Amino acid sequence: MVRPTLLAPAGGLDMARAAVDAGADSLYVGPLGWSRRPYESEMGDADIRTAIDYAGARGADVRVVLNTFPSPFEYQAWLDQAQRFFDWGAAGFIVSDPGAIPRLRARLPTAVLHVSVGSGISNAADAAFYRDLGADLIVVPYRWDEAEVRRARAQSDIGIETFLFATVQTGKICPGKCIMSSYLKFRDWTPLEGKDACYGSANRGAKECYRVCQTRWAFAAADADEAQTAPGLKLRRDAHLMLDQIPGMIAAGVSCFKLSGRERPTPIIRDLVAFYRRVIDGVLDGSATDMAVYADAMAVLEERWVTEKRKRVDTLMARAGRYGEATAPLEAAGLGA
Amino acid sequence: MFELSTDCSNPQELRGGDYDAYDALYLGDFSCPDYPNNFSSHPETLAEAVRIVKDQGKQCYLRLYAVPSNHELDAVKRVIETATALPFDGFEVHNMGLLRVLRELGCATPLHLGVFGNLYTHETARVLKEYGVTRVYPNPELSLREVVFIKDQTPIEVLIPVHGKIPLVISETCFIMENAHPGAEKCSFFCAKGHWLTRSQGDWSLKDAGRMTLSGKDLCMIEHMDLLAAQGLKHFFVQGHGEERARVATIGRAYRAALDAIAAGEPTASAASLASLAGLAEMGLCNGYYFEGAGQQYVGRQ
Repeated sequence: MVRPTLLAPAGGLDMARAAVDAGADSLYVGPLGWSRRPYESEMGDADIRTAIDYAGARGADVRVVLNTFPSPFEYQAWLDQAQRFFDWGAAGFIVSDPGAIPRLRARLPTAVLHVSVGSGISNAADAAFYRDLGADLIVVPYRWDEAEVRRARAQSDIGIETFLFATVQTGKICPGKCIMSSYLKFRDWTPLEGKDACYGSANRGAKECYRVCQTRWAFAAADADEAQTAPGLKLRRDAHLMLDQIPGMIAAGVSCFKLSGRERPTPIIRDLVAFYRRVIDGVLDGSATDMAVYADAMAVLEERWVTEKRKRVDTLMARAGRYGEATAPLEAAGLGA
Repeated sequence: MFELSTDCSNPQELRGGDYDAYDALYLGDFSCPDYPNNFSSHPETLAEAVRIVKDQGKQCYLRLYAVPSNHELDAVKRVIETATALPFDGFEVHNMGLLRVLRELGCATPLHLGVFGNLYTHETARVLKEYGVTRVYPNPELSLREVVFIKDQTPIEVLIPVHGKIPLVISETCFIMENAHPGAEKCSFFCAKGHWLTRSQGDWSLKDAGRMTLSGKDLCMIEHMDLLAAQGLKHFFVQGHGEERARVATIGRAYRAALDAIAAGEPTASAASLASLAGLAEMGLCNGYYFEGAGQQYVGRQ
């Protein structure tokens, strides 16, 4: 049985230290402007170097998230970033742009290359494609079950990374196939965010997705009356923390479990890392293979998780407050709806 | 000199539409295999469709399903097997796994990367060329400067959407069935009617086609066609998914006239066309991301 890695978030140095101390095998960190998060959840270069040293001294390592789709104009800067972090001791990189993979593989032959969930894969042939390019691991969609993991494993020897989410949702494919947020709002960079080669969106850098899907929508056919209108819909439902699926995922050959949450408070990440360390080790050594023993602890963690997630979505949607302003020039010209 | 193309989902749309203004047709709805008689999922319809399009002297491309799951790959392969024996001028592919499948099958038909292929960089375009991709539809978030850079640096043909709603997100299940007709057990082509998502506060609207959500506003580049041509761009596309065929014909005529004027070195009558096109757009016009703003923004020539 493959011993899967527990990959933990580090949105700052405090979280990096707490996650390593709680038992993470690897951390992932996002440099300012390059990792699909607002600057509050990314790290400056000096902090990343400190995190690499801290993890390395304790038998863990650091993977750097460079999963924006860079502008063609900033490609060299993107590659130089990777080189610098690798020289400081980063073990690997999490990327989305297919063109980046052969470039990184040629330049950094020993780096571990993860294909980000932002690549939006949908089948086992996708996984084989990225393996051909030189990737080591691929993040599979949240909704993939053990059977899907086995199919991917049967088609190539790429490592399978899965989020510690469980969801039955299909529906709109996110992240990876969605640009709703930037249709409504597309921000300039701020000096804190470190670059200005292109306008920012969720896919292109430190501009967070504004969670358009989480607002309330009315939905109806064009000729529907009020009674036929579905009110208050969300376009996408939330995922839940994974537990029951973990033994099966390990048996299916998952090689990396990824905990999300760079933007959440350090204490909940610390507690989740410790919890999942216990769960994974219990499955591997056979001491606790029935997930029912964790049900009470999971319920408490889930409640904390959902509370923090709700706060975060509210914050992001508040930032999107002035979406309507972009329509002003057209309406002034008499051409708006 | 230029190629103006649009899409056409099924035999009814092909026979019922007036495509005189267009040089090429992309056959099939890449977002929904269940769309009635969708060329993308009904291989038995393809031979007759290619014949009709070729008889009109047009290029004919086939769109393959954009997000095939593991369970759907075999069905897509059956479509490919039929299509490779027909005189298609290209297959539009959105999925990297399918690119690999096509290479394994020894496909010699030119491949076009579709909008959900997430093409953001020239480095990716170079990788895709090794898989037989000859034309790319860049991610709509790219600016005009970036698109031109990719065209020149790769180098590769780029397809430039110039009009119609912008594909924003694709879905594995039908949002219309799930939310507007809960309890419906099978597709009854609810998407034949336009469905609109409107934020509860009423300030944003998007169009939902069931398996794909599109911009509420219509992308419109009629004022800027000379700018696009001056950048060496030659392949232009009108997004017609879910639109009345008469509307697609009207839009095509406006862009045909603009392209003919540019080819003749004459000024384009863009002001009149703009007013006409604005009248067709339920939620107004936008330029997408070409001018480095939010997709819903409109930047006029002045």
